[in-house]
Amino acid sequence: MKKYIIKRILYMVIVFFIVSFLMYFLFNLIPSDPARNQLEAMKTSLKPEQYQQMYQQLRLEMGLDDPIILRYARWMGLMPTVKNGFNGLLQGNLGYSLYFKKNIIEVVVAPMKTTIFLNIFSTILALGITIPLGIYCAVHKGSKIDNFTMVFTIIGYSIPVYIIALVFIFLFAVILRWFPVSGMGTPGANYTGLRKMLDMLYYFALPLIVITFGSLGGMTRYVRAAMIDALSMDHIKTARAKGVKEKTVIYSHAWRNALLPVITLIIGWFLGIFSGSVIIENTFSINGMGSLYIKALNSHDYDLALAMQMFYCVVSLVGALIMDLSYSFVDPRVRVDK
Amino acid sequence: MSEKKKKNSLLARLFGNRNKEVDVMVEEQIQSPGKMMLDNFLHNRLGMTGLIVFILIFIFVSVGPNFVELDLGAADNTQLNVPPTTTMMSIPKQMKNKVQAIASGPTFGIGCDTDGNVYVWGHTKITETLDIKKVPEEVKKAKIIDVAAGYDHVVALDDKNKVYVWGNTRLGQDRIPDELAGTSRINKAGKVIQLEAGYQISGVVTEDGEAYFWGNSNMADIDVKSEYQGRIKKIAIATYNYCLLLDDGSVAYGGLKTGNPFANIPSSLSSGVVDIAASGETMAAVDQNGKITIWGSGTHGERNVPEFESKPVEIYGGRYHYTALMDNNDVISWGDNSHGQADVPNSVNNGDIATVFSGFYQNYAVTTTGEVETWGLKGHPLGTDDMGRDILTRIIHGGKTTMTVGAIAEVIALIIGVVLGAIAGYFGGKTDLIIMRITEVIGALPFLPFALLLSAIIGARIDVQLRMYLIMVVLGLLSWTGICRLIRAQILAEREKEFVLAAQAMGVKESSIIFKHILPNVMSILLVEATLGFATCMLTESSLSYLGFGITPPTPTWGNMLTGANNSVVIQQYWWRWVFPAAIFGVCTICINLMGDAIREAVDPKSLGR
Repeated sequence: MKKYIIKRILYMVIVFFIVSFLMYFLFNLIPSDPARNQLEAMKTSLKPEQYQQMYQQLRLEMGLDDPIILRYARWMGLMPTVKNGFNGLLQGNLGYSLYFKKNIIEVVVAPMKTTIFLNIFSTILALGITIPLGIYCAVHKGSKIDNFTMVFTIIGYSIPVYIIALVFIFLFAVILRWFPVSGMGTPGANYTGLRKMLDMLYYFALPLIVITFGSLGGMTRYVRAAMIDALSMDHIKTARAKGVKEKTVIYSHAWRNALLPVITLIIGWFLGIFSGSVIIENTFSINGMGSLYIKALNSHDYDLALAMQMFYCVVSLVGALIMDLSYSFVDPRVRVDK
Repeated sequence: MSEKKKKNSLLARLFGNRNKEVDVMVEEQIQSPGKMMLDNFLHNRLGMTGLIVFILIFIFVSVGPNFVELDLGAADNTQLNVPPTTTMMSIPKQMKNKVQAIASGPTFGIGCDTDGNVYVWGHTKITETLDIKKVPEEVKKAKIIDVAAGYDHVVALDDKNKVYVWGNTRLGQDRIPDELAGTSRINKAGKVIQLEAGYQISGVVTEDGEAYFWGNSNMADIDVKSEYQGRIKKIAIATYNYCLLLDDGSVAYGGLKTGNPFANIPSSLSSGVVDIAASGETMAAVDQNGKITIWGSGTHGERNVPEFESKPVEIYGGRYHYTALMDNNDVISWGDNSHGQADVPNSVNNGDIATVFSGFYQNYAVTTTGEVETWGLKGHPLGTDDMGRDILTRIIHGGKTTMTVGAIAEVIALIIGVVLGAIAGYFGGKTDLIIMRITEVIGALPFLPFALLLSAIIGARIDVQLRMYLIMVVLGLLSWTGICRLIRAQILAEREKEFVLAAQAMGVKESSIIFKHILPNVMSILLVEATLGFATCMLTESSLSYLGFGITPPTPTWGNMLTGANNSVVIQQYWWRWVFPAAIFGVCTICINLMGDAIREAVDPKSLGR
């Protein structure tokens, strides 16, 4: 087991470096000159030759004329920079945001909290609904409720999430006026403590409902399919023949076997909503990672966008790792195969 | 076979209760797998419904663009956010055969009958509170003999020579001169013989040759040089300017602001002019020989006067078109034809037209027997957006774009996925390892953020057309990994079978073993994957466009039509701007998914649950 985990982690690290190099390379296709940007403020106070000299020196210091692989290594923190020693991504230096005029690490903390809160909360909500529903449909396969759920879930996973969002805003925010249309808190209100928490929940309710609703379709179908497969296994027949209680058969014998595909799904889906929350956050004007990313791209703040892109990569790589590990945890056969 | 037919409930019929009892002989009859799949598919109600509806939508968006033209540069500030309506030219029944006067506003019509009643039709709501339909009480009581319509106000004249204005009056549209309002006892204007309205201005001519103008004078030139007063026979009002027909048959520009294209009146119009008219940006005059002269800055084809045999005697102007009444009581129209306002229907030209009322995009021709024929803009069946563009047109063209992009992206993904998957699965070993690692790296890229990134970096520097191709390629390049894995797994299973061994023994080339011998065996699964992938590509494209990183306006797609719809004003007040694109897109993706599911069930005998 240990060997397997180490192998997977090692593999993940390699993929991370490949992907991050790819990203770095892509961002370097954008014509930009950080040395000139830094000197722009002093341009008027300097003589032309002085400016030229400083510019060349800065270029040298920043290592702008080195081959891309060296620049990448410096940016990553694998190699000392010309002046400051090791100072890259691995040392926690994500760079400087031109748009916010702050270090990127300061910019992303608050949005990241929001996004993680939003996603974990909606995951719990969605799992709480889909797993019981999926099991019920699998056990009562062919019943009216099952048929209805199947049709309903097709609708759920076919319609893009922003259309669901628009319809829900129309229903719950505009017509019924239960929830606010968008935002993250009552404007101008300075709530503290529990009151603030409740206010935030009030504003997050609609986005949460939309994310949950959007994920119901695919997940319910998946849980149902996994459960039907599990229920058709021979040992279920044996258990039933032995007179084991139906509840035990379903929740103990069958569900454990259905868990494996469901875990894959949950993690894959969790990664999906991380990038999918770009749409939700934009639609509901929530200040999360997604809307920050869009803002960074729109304002050509490419250092920020690159850092956030790396965040998304790490999330998906770690997710894939957890998926593999939990596989081997739940199903010992996987370990043997590898 | 059992003759008893179980009566199914509506729900069971709709959502498919396929557990019919079948005779053993029928059940066990040998069928070829292909025929069985087809049979299974054809008997899947949901799947067939999906297929039929999808085909209908497909025909709608693929044939539709040939009939409805899309002008990418179109923007019309007179048609902003008009709700779905087709009643812009529907004259009320009570007015039939009694038409006294008709005037058209941008989205509404107003008329009065010979009994002095006023009627309003079309989309009359100007703002939340202002509505042309709210005819003032005093107007209802008065006997109205003439009406005129501006951009957001209407003017009416009663038999006691009093002028009324309602609609938007916030910019001075109701600043009626004292002489006309009936408030001043000393300065009474002579009897009004003509009533006209422009953008936010109005004007009248009295029988003693005087002209009065009032309204929003910020942009408009509504002063009258005193040398013309007393000699004026007729006025014609363009958007912000007007011209005069004087009693000596000459045309004059009466305003004080010179240097605009209207002030340079062609020299040929110094005598013999019988009628004048104005469109939004041009003016026209017809002289006693029937020669039509157009001047001004019009760019919508107002100058392209068609050939005609008879002699025009009267001329009327719409916003970008003209209509002329000939001496043989026929009618011709020319100019901008984006709403059919320059297409005179054949039924009109029977030589019995008494008079014509034109304005904005509508024409009303009254025959000698009192019938009213109309042509021009009826309305927008699905409303218009915030730039005045017709939603229906954009849905048709947007659907074409969305489907094309989705299909081509899916084809790219299929080609890459199938080729790489087949190679990896067949050859195995190092080839397999390398290809699978590439797949994993691509799979590790977070899809939506990465697509956004590529679109932002590359897309910003290329033009619209190239950008569309870019989106297709990006979507294709990012979504082949699933297909690749699937094909590889299938090929791994198939390549161990005897027929492959046989083919190898016979010395068949490896490429043809893969693509001709093995691949047909996985075709059915590929079909399912392609169908579902098509829906996914469409969804992704629309998500990108919705966020503003896919295909950008003015090219419409179902995704970017919904951009900016996420605020309460649009959602509530301009519901037609998001409901229709969202509905057709939702129905389309649901149908594709239903189809994909049905194909999956058809090709996978296990799913039938026997």
